Order: sequence, then structure tokens, then C-alpha cells
Amino acid sequence: MTAPFFQVEQLTKKFGGLTAVNNISFTVQPDEMVGLIGPNGAGKSTLVKLIMGILKPDRGSIRFKGKELRGQNPWDIVNRGIAGTFQNTRPFRRLPIIANVMVSCLAPRGRRRGEWVKRIEAKARDALEFAGISDLALEPAAHLSHGDLKRLEIARAIATDPELLILDEPFGGLNPVETELLAKSIRRLHRGGRFGRLHSEGMAMIIIEHKLSELMKIVDRVIVLHFGEIIAAGTPREIVKNPAVIEAYLGEEGA
Amino acid sequence: MIRVWLLRLYRDFKGDILALPGRTLACLAVLALFIAPLFIRDTYILRIITLTAVYAVFAASWDLLSGYVGQLNLGHALFFGVAAYTSAMLNLHLGLPPVLTIPLGALAAVMAGLVVGIPCLRLKGQYLSLATLAFPIILKGLVYLFKEYTGGELGISGISRLAGSRLVECYIALALGAVLCFLIWKITDSNLGLIFHAIREDEITARASGINTTAYKLLAFCLSGLFAGIAGGFFAHYMRLAGPFTLDVLLSFQAIIWTIFGGITTIYGSVAGVIILFPLMEILRAFPEIRMLLFAAVIVIVLRFMPEGVVPWFLDRVEKECPRCKERNAFTRTRCRVCRVSLSEREVRARTTTRA
Repeated sequence: MTAPFFQVEQLTKKFGGLTAVNNISFTVQPDEMVGLIGPNGAGKSTLVKLIMGILKPDRGSIRFKGKELRGQNPWDIVNRGIAGTFQNTRPFRRLPIIANVMVSCLAPRGRRRGEWVKRIEAKARDALEFAGISDLALEPAAHLSHGDLKRLEIARAIATDPELLILDEPFGGLNPVETELLAKSIRRLHRGGRFGRLHSEGMAMIIIEHKLSELMKIVDRVIVLHFGEIIAAGTPREIVKNPAVIEAYLGEEGA
Repeated sequence: MIRVWLLRLYRDFKGDILALPGRTLACLAVLALFIAPLFIRDTYILRIITLTAVYAVFAASWDLLSGYVGQLNLGHALFFGVAAYTSAMLNLHLGLPPVLTIPLGALAAVMAGLVVGIPCLRLKGQYLSLATLAFPIILKGLVYLFKEYTGGELGISGISRLAGSRLVECYIALALGAVLCFLIWKITDSNLGLIFHAIREDEITARASGINTTAYKLLAFCLSGLFAGIAGGFFAHYMRLAGPFTLDVLLSFQAIIWTIFGGITTIYGSVAGVIILFPLMEILRAFPEIRMLLFAAVIVIVLRFMPEGVVPWFLDRVEKECPRCKERNAFTRTRCRVCRVSLSEREVRARTTTRA
């Protein structure tokens, strides 16, 4: 049997007495788009930070294409093909937007994959073009609106040529029009194709989101977290009918 | 063939240097520094010019580490001192010529960069600064402890001179200073410089972008050590002395004062800071009692009115940034020299208000 594309096994992380992520296991296939939902404090962002290598897990394993990622540095994980965005955007504020993305293109993975492209600036511009903010390329990142910062995060992540993209609340704080546009971009990214100098074969995705209506429209499968544990997993249709999920979101009375 | 090359050189010179008042002035200043020694017979003034060139490299190397990578180093004299002592010892005990001792001294400073850099990787902000402050103080203690090797308070003297005459030494210093400062500026202007900027702005985002921040921070410590080390080795051979002064806290702080006065995170700002302040200190020797007071007053007043430093303040006055392509233009221009968009403030304001 071949190893799964991406696999999390019995992952646990404790902060003092609080177990933020408790014994979580799931897999993601290369052509899948998985939604990760749960109420506030369910451990979603902690899980992402564990996968990205920003936090170290207490127990369990994270495997990507058969290789163990646990204990690796964040940059090694990115260079193996996993990129993520932050829930609270963290741009290089005083650098121009294009420079924000060029930094990703300078990482070993971005450079190796794009060797035939002599000018990394052109590649960075394509990533911005895809995210829809190329007209602001020369402005400093501190001048961007919240919605554009979310787009910048995505441009920065895709510039590393990831095979698995993890988006932490990409629609957070966006208005309905911006949300619709971004959802379209994400679907396009998942399908793959050529975006200027960036070539993607379609990437697997894990999307964390609070706006369930948007999320349910685009993902293939949903995993629900509550108090650091998986309480349900299945297709969006199954999840919305699942009593445990309704209880977690609305409380016993609501259910 | 030669004519084509000359024409191209002239065109580049006109387009890239003469087009901007800041660069033109910098070129004139460098030219003046190179021509002046020919007409100066006074060794004291020659010495000021030489030391200005040496300290310019030292200040620029501090800017590379602290301004660009954001690793605020309060003990930068460590690199200077380690290189000065290494060069002096190699010269005195092994009889190596300066051509060898200065690079070997710089290599020792690179090692010092690693020694400081590795424990400092886990520290940030003020804790990092305090740790870096400690290293030269520790080394100074060791210098006093092992008097038989280091000469204690008197230092190591009697090492060989760089060249036969002060004028030649002055020219070597000027050439070396110009080349090294240009090299440091080129590093900060390259892809490596972009990564340094990114690490200063947000280390976690840099890591999430696939940048090995640990390696790049160490590289910054080593590069900074290398350049400060070359300056230190040169200093020892020029003064024919490597004393505890080269490890002094005051010397570390001088690099910081010069850089912040000229404009941090610019390289050319730190060089300009040295060119202005170092000769000023010598002029102020005319008033020995109130020399430091006057010096401090000048710095406080200048930074009160030019908080970003002298050079950025000046450049903002004589150059304007194109609102569209962000290229710099001389203040006399009405249209951008690259994208031809209008630079007049009234038109820019009118355009932005209509868009809003």
C-alpha cells in the first residue's frame, strides 16, 4: 500500500493544563480540498501551527508524501511543499508588496522549481496577478486594506509552489463581494493550470473557516473540531445534518 | 568598440548618477576625498581622512547587521578589536606582512561573528543587545588578564606599517573604504538584502515563506564581522598599535551614533555620518573642555529636526518619489524620468481626490 499524500496521526499538543489538540488523526489526498471547522477555541489554528512547524507537538506524527515532518523547521516544511497563510496577516510591513512575495520566490523551493525563470520579480508579479493585487505591487504592505492583506498572504504562499496549501480563515473580515472573488481564486488554484510563470498541477488544500456557507460550497470534505478533538468528518451535506456538529455550534438547546 | 563602451558608460552615468542630486553629490564627495590628499602635506589631516575611510567601513558593517537584519548589536567593537589584535599578533610574533594579517584578522572576526551569533540566535530585542554588549567587555577582561600576549593596557605596539608614506596609506584606505562600502551597499541591494529586510520585518513570516532564518542571521553576523574585521586589521597596521581601545564600549556606540545620525538602514547614511561627525570631533578639539558637550548638542539638535537621519532628510528635500513607479527624481523635474507621469503636487493631489 502506498503512503497517503498527507497524514496526521494521534497529534497532541498541550499548553499547561489545557489540551489544545487531542489525539487528532486524518488524511488528505492530493486532489482533495478539505475544510476544517469548529467553534472558537476548538484548536484549529493550533493544528495549523503544528503542521507548519511553528509549534512543536507533544505526541503524534505528521507525514507528507511518506516523510515525517515532526521536529522539522518551518522553512524545511515549506521547502518540502506545504505552505500556509496566517489567520492574523503578518506582512513585511515596510517592504513593497512585490518584495513580500519575492521573499517566497527566493526560498530554495521557489528558486529550484522556477530555475528557468531568470527574474524572480516576474514570478512574484504573476503570483500577485493571480491574487488580484498586482496593481498595488509597489505600495508598501502597511498601506493595504484587510482584504488585500489576505490576498497578499495567498500570493506569498503560492509563490513557494506548494503541493499542499493551508489557508487559515481566508474569508475572515472580507465583504461578500471580496469573499466571492477569493472563493473563485481558490477554486481555480485547486484545479491547477498555468498562471503566467507559475505552474500548478492543482494543489491539495486544507481550509479553516468560520463562514460555513462559503466553505461548504467549495470543499470536498469537512472535518469538525471541538475542544481539540474531531467530532465529525464527512461531505458538507452529511456534516450540516450531523447532530453532534449542530450541538457543538448551537449548544444543546439549539440542537 | 572602445567608443561604444565609453558611450554606454557615459549614458549609464548620466541616467543613473547625474539624474539624481543625491548620487551626484555622493560622487563629488568621494571625488573630493580622493583628490584632497594630493594637495595636503599635513600628516594630521591625512590621518583624519584615512581614519574616516576606516570608520566608514566599520559603521556600514554595523548598519548591515543592525539596520538591515534588525539584530541590534551593542558590542560591534568586538569584531574590530578581535581583528586588530589578531593582525597585530600575527605580524609581531610570526612576522607576516599586512597583506596576510589583515585578511587573517578579518577571518578571526568572522569566527567572532559565529561565536556571538550562535548563542544570540535564541535571543531577541533588548536581550540580544545586552548579550552582544557583554562579549567585547569579556574580551577586554581577557586582554588585561593575559598581559604577556596582549600587552595589557598598553596594547601591542611596534607592528609594521602598511606603506612607506602616509599619503600612500591614505590612498589605500580610501580605495579600500570605497570598494568595501560599495560592496556592503550592493549586498543590501541584492536578493540577500531583501531576505535581511524580511527577517527584520517579521521573522515568523520569513520562516513561513521558506527562508532559513537561522542560517541567514548567522550569515549576517559573519558578513558584518568580516567587514568590521578588515577595518580593524587596517586600523591596527595604520596606527601601528592594537590596544584595549579597539574593544571599547565607546567605539561600539560610535558606530551606532554615526549610523543613526546619517540614516539607519541605508549604508550610505552610515558612511555620510562618519564623513560628517568624525572630522567634526577633530575640529571640536579646539574647545577641549566642552568638546563632548558640543558634540552631543549637535547630535541632539540634528536628530530633533531630522529624526530619520541627515541623509534621508536631505534626499527628501532634493528628490521626490514618483507616485506611480516609485522611482526617485530630481526635485526640479515635473515629470517622472521613467514613467513620465506628472510629479507636480497639485496634479497628484487632484488625481488622488478624483479616485477617492
